[in-house]
Amino acid sequence: MNYFSTIIFLLRDRQDFLEEIHQGVRLKSKISSLMISSFCFFALYGAIIGSFDGWAQALSSAIKLPALYLITLVVCLPTLYIFNVLFGSKQNIAQHFTYLLSAVSVIAILLCGFAPVTLFFLITINNSFKDYYFFMLLNVSIFALTGIIGVSFLYQIMRPIADPNDESVQAEKATALPAKAPDLTDFKPDFQVEASGKPEKSEFKNNLQVRTNILRFWLVLYGFVGSQLGWVLRPFFGSPGDGFALFRAKGGNIITGVWTAFTNLLN
Amino acid sequence: MKPDLEDLKITERELENLSGFEAGPIFIGGIFGGVYRSSVFRNPQRFLWFCLTEVLVFALIFTFTVPIGLSTLPGNVNNSIKDVSTTLQFLQTTVGIALLVLLLWNIYMGWRGKRFKGLMHLLDEIDRYHQVLAAIDLLDQLEAVDSQVNLANRQDALAALSLTRNSLVSALMTEKILRESRGLLARRHDLVTNIENNLSALQTIEINNRANEYGQLLNAALQIGMSVHAEIQQVSSRL
Repeated sequence: MNYFSTIIFLLRDRQDFLEEIHQGVRLKSKISSLMISSFCFFALYGAIIGSFDGWAQALSSAIKLPALYLITLVVCLPTLYIFNVLFGSKQNIAQHFTYLLSAVSVIAILLCGFAPVTLFFLITINNSFKDYYFFMLLNVSIFALTGIIGVSFLYQIMRPIADPNDESVQAEKATALPAKAPDLTDFKPDFQVEASGKPEKSEFKNNLQVRTNILRFWLVLYGFVGSQLGWVLRPFFGSPGDGFALFRAKGGNIITGVWTAFTNLLN
Repeated sequence: MKPDLEDLKITERELENLSGFEAGPIFIGGIFGGVYRSSVFRNPQRFLWFCLTEVLVFALIFTFTVPIGLSTLPGNVNNSIKDVSTTLQFLQTTVGIALLVLLLWNIYMGWRGKRFKGLMHLLDEIDRYHQVLAAIDLLDQLEAVDSQVNLANRQDALAALSLTRNSLVSALMTEKILRESRGLLARRHDLVTNIENNLSALQTIEINNRANEYGQLLNAALQIGMSVHAEIQQVSSRL
């Protein structure tokens, strides 16, 4: 009933939470709760940044920001799932979706953590072009920071790890895991060696390596799709003196947009 | 809660294993792909949560319709979309699709919910059973603070609740077997017999303890047991 308790469970008992996803325990309720709670957090932050340019923009951004993150996730999910299954993952699409939603929820809660800072600057700056570019770059930095943390969280939880009961891969596991992820070292694997037809060690290692590379590639893809969708859905902040616009012209991309904002701030 | 009372609880994971579905206070099988419980319309608090969930789900669906709405708009290649008529056109498409999906989702849940009537009834009984456990826990707490409150026959109450728990577990298993296998398995008979035996034992305990402090709680346990028995008989006779 309380959808936000799932995100608290994720933050407090991360290992148990991930263990439950691995075992497929209460996946549907996890997906529902994470979707709804991350939607609420994104909508709240979207409303705050949108209120820079009035209530209409606030309302628009409260829908656009959750759309940006959640649609990007749904668009990129099949790629990750199909490639992972192709290279030996035993996890189903619901488990993949829950892992990705967990990372997105972490981004959402981090953004909410920044909400008071954004709100403070929103109140203390003027609705002028100079402040607009400052506010925009401030938020781009916040989105970049939360995105990096979210992506590294996803990389940690989804990186394929070998079976802990299989002695042949223990050594590799010990060297492969970073020193600063002790809480995830006991996390159960998604690769299980079949009793009949045990694969060769080299093939096993190759598959692990390939899946780690797939994850890295997918994270880049996620960033690309997200930035393009963000560009298509803009404005999120509005523009002073320009009036409310539902969507901007389709031309350009996010890199040119950030560069323009940066040069305008310096001039 | 004391450990002996804690052991009597039917945990969410146990419930999921027994029924084959994630059972929450509002939905069976989660929001997406599951069904809502009929009890949401009898409990005002749950009904409020259900309405709130409907609003949130609508907002979530609306979020996903944004690209569809955007794709139907006349080209904004060079200009921003600012005029009211285009905005209204966008809202017509997105809100329309979102409302349609929401309606279809509710119709689907209502239609699918008919299959789960037995399970819903059993879940309501499990809620009542947990309420009885909470009441005993309250009595335990009172006893701990005030030494003058000395409640007799606690063990009988726990024994009765243990029987009720077994009946509920058996009933959940029976319902699952009947739902999945349409009553073809021989195990059904054993499980129904088990429920009947538990019910007889419950009636005996209840008669012996009718006059003491736990009488009401024992009566509640008996009512749950009888209700479970009746539900299983009904489900069995339907097949």
